Amino acid sequence: MSAPVHASASLAPPARVFVTGLGCVTPFGIGVEAFARGLASARAAFDDVTLFPSAGHRTRLAGEVRAELGPALADLAPRVKRHLSRTDAFAVLAAREALSDAALAPEDGEAGVFLGSSTGGMFEGEEFFWRLRATGGRARVSDIASQQHNGPADAVARAFGLHGPLVTMSSACSAASMAFEAALASLRAGETDVALAGGADGLCRLTYAGFNALRAVDEAPCRPFRADRAGLSLGEGAGLLVLETEAHARARGARVHGEFLGAGSSCDAHHMTAPKEDGSGLALAVEKALADARIGPADVDAVNAHGTATPLNDAAEWRGLTAVFGERVRELVFLPTKASIGHLLGAAGGAEAVASLLALRAGCATRVPGEGPLDPDCPARFADAAELPLAHDATILSVNLAFGGANAAVLLRGVRP
Amino acid sequence: MSIVITGIGTVGPHGVGTAALAAALADGTNAATELEPVPDFHSPSAHPRYLGRVDPAALAPHLDPRTSRRMSLPSRLAVVAARLARADAGLEAEHFEGHDVAVCLGTAFGPTDFTIRLLDQIRDKGPEAASPFLFMESVANAHAGQVALDAQLVGPNATIVQREASALSAVAQGVSYLASGRCELALVGAVDEIAPMTHGALERFGALSSGPCGRALDAARDGYAVSEGATVLVLERDDTAHARGARVLARVRTALRGNDPTASAVTWGDGAERLGLTLRLGLERAGLTPFAIDRVVSGASGSRRGDRLEALLLRQVLGDTPPSVLTPKAVTGEFGGGFLAAAVLAATGADFGPTPGFESVDPELGLRPHDGRPLERARTVLVSSLAAGGAAAWLVLEAGEA
Repeated sequence: MSAPVHASASLAPPARVFVTGLGCVTPFGIGVEAFARGLASARAAFDDVTLFPSAGHRTRLAGEVRAELGPALADLAPRVKRHLSRTDAFAVLAAREALSDAALAPEDGEAGVFLGSSTGGMFEGEEFFWRLRATGGRARVSDIASQQHNGPADAVARAFGLHGPLVTMSSACSAASMAFEAALASLRAGETDVALAGGADGLCRLTYAGFNALRAVDEAPCRPFRADRAGLSLGEGAGLLVLETEAHARARGARVHGEFLGAGSSCDAHHMTAPKEDGSGLALAVEKALADARIGPADVDAVNAHGTATPLNDAAEWRGLTAVFGERVRELVFLPTKASIGHLLGAAGGAEAVASLLALRAGCATRVPGEGPLDPDCPARFADAAELPLAHDATILSVNLAFGGANAAVLLRGVRP
Repeated sequence: MSIVITGIGTVGPHGVGTAALAAALADGTNAATELEPVPDFHSPSAHPRYLGRVDPAALAPHLDPRTSRRMSLPSRLAVVAARLARADAGLEAEHFEGHDVAVCLGTAFGPTDFTIRLLDQIRDKGPEAASPFLFMESVANAHAGQVALDAQLVGPNATIVQREASALSAVAQGVSYLASGRCELALVGAVDEIAPMTHGALERFGALSSGPCGRALDAARDGYAVSEGATVLVLERDDTAHARGARVLARVRTALRGNDPTASAVTWGDGAERLGLTLRLGLERAGLTPFAIDRVVSGASGSRRGDRLEALLLRQVLGDTPPSVLTPKAVTGEFGGGFLAAAVLAATGADFGPTPGFESVDPELGLRPHDGRPLERARTVLVSSLAAGGAAAWLVLEAGEA
């Protein structure tokens, strides 16, 4: 049932929030198990991009979703399928899987939708724009119906008949984690009992050429925290969680994947694209997440790092984490998910949350693709030569940094089987 | 604890600052001007087109040329509106430094002009020619980042995109940040530019009014008029506002969000009954009954389907004879934050003149917007916005001391 985010919300100990469903579309394919297999394979999902020409860019690679979307969407109602962008489709498929995993039926339509997306259906918008320019304005306007940033969240709510709060967070690469934070606050305040939260983003010319212009991409697959890292690799997809209040989950006997402990966000207020060198902005977000979760740094076992593999980002991230965890940062298990699927931008936090919960389910951090020496200035401990053990009920911090200086941190804890 | 609005900054077609907007609302005058069609984006037909534009020269006194040059139009609008809001709230640097100040801004379309310029570069000269500057300012959250950078605001920095509901959704998110202790103070609002491609696309969708203003709730309405601009509000908890002696413009009694899943991707649905239930339950949980609402600031804009949904929703919740309904989008236009500023002005007791463009009641809607007669100051104002695509957001504002 819905309730307002009214101004008298209590600051008493917050209601616990559980993760009861997972769903994703990644460059490894459609679904959580495809993602799990891909991560376990210790190979990266990068290949030559086929959606648009890559000539003139520093790289031809991307983590592109090659799976056929049409058959996967076949059973959706025509009114839902109409005007779906690729990104919308990623979001709808991930949401359907997450709802099914949570054993929630569409008639449980009170759920809220909190999704991050940096560009929404920009790829289709670009196609429309190209045709406009090429034909002197003769292009079908229906082609951009889903171009908007809010397309993925709207499509999810429409597809599953959801009446709860509908929020698209478009805060670049922190969008999904900030969407988690918004969902968490909404659940705790009693605005909704169930939320579909995460992010969705698709590859497009704008971001592919834009990061190329910033000299932020690597010609080769990205190599987070390695000494010879030279930039990021872009990817696409969606990662969504079903979040529920403890009371709602227990009342219906839901299976619990983990607990969503807390979240925090901050802004560097330093530069529009570069992170603050000392990582203090990120550190503030992490400290806020820890306070929100009412745990301390010593309670954290692992970090799903932002780890874009740009020289500046990884170093700043390491410094920020060091400010929070001290020397213990060297003991934390790092999960540099982008080494496997690339940077999913507004979906990154969503896919990385799913990856974190998969690591907790597996009881280990799987081997990270890539080779080469670690950077002595940011010596993250990750599964390089072999898997690293991780308790099923370990606590994982997941962080994201974004353009505009937006930082976000979320804390997840697993459950013993 | 309650949350109060202590400052407002607005920039739009009526000018810079609340006084210009308040005068326009009191007179019932729309500031849209005719727009020349732009090749490739507009259809070749010769009918007149309108847009509520911001005069760039009006921003100059508020933004030095060096700062202005490194920003897109949405960033410039947002930064100026935020500076005005901070000044209006009496906030100085001491209130920011070492404090957790959030920025939460809504936008319907993001920085479209820079996006188009960047895509033109890529198309015409290849990706090698793409400008890092254009890319940096093409991301949807660039304006929120610039607002934070301008005043060194280190709290949550959020950008909300939900078409016509973006402004109120952003306010709701700011309220959530404050109510959950995630920040001490929040700058919330909305910013929009209407680039030729956006204007042309809305025209192709049949969304735009044939005249300079949307004929809100009118039987012969044929679309909305669009505007550029930005509005930023300062939100804070009443105890912190009281402690620094701030003037309270209005209190946010509640902020509500919902969705109408009957909407298509491009227009409004017909789920008034279910939206009404969401709104009623929300009011109830805030300790309010519909009878407490003595003024409505409606998001009706002249859209055929949008106004129908809005009117049916209002009647569903407030009955067939609701309190006075203000439709400020007939003055401010759709987008650009003018609606949000007008809503706050309504809560402060500002005068509202006749609704431009309104001539006759639509029998199906059965709602007549305010006719310009003097109104008693409202105690409890319901602000409503429903978006194409399904999103809904509402605020209930209570009169402040100002």
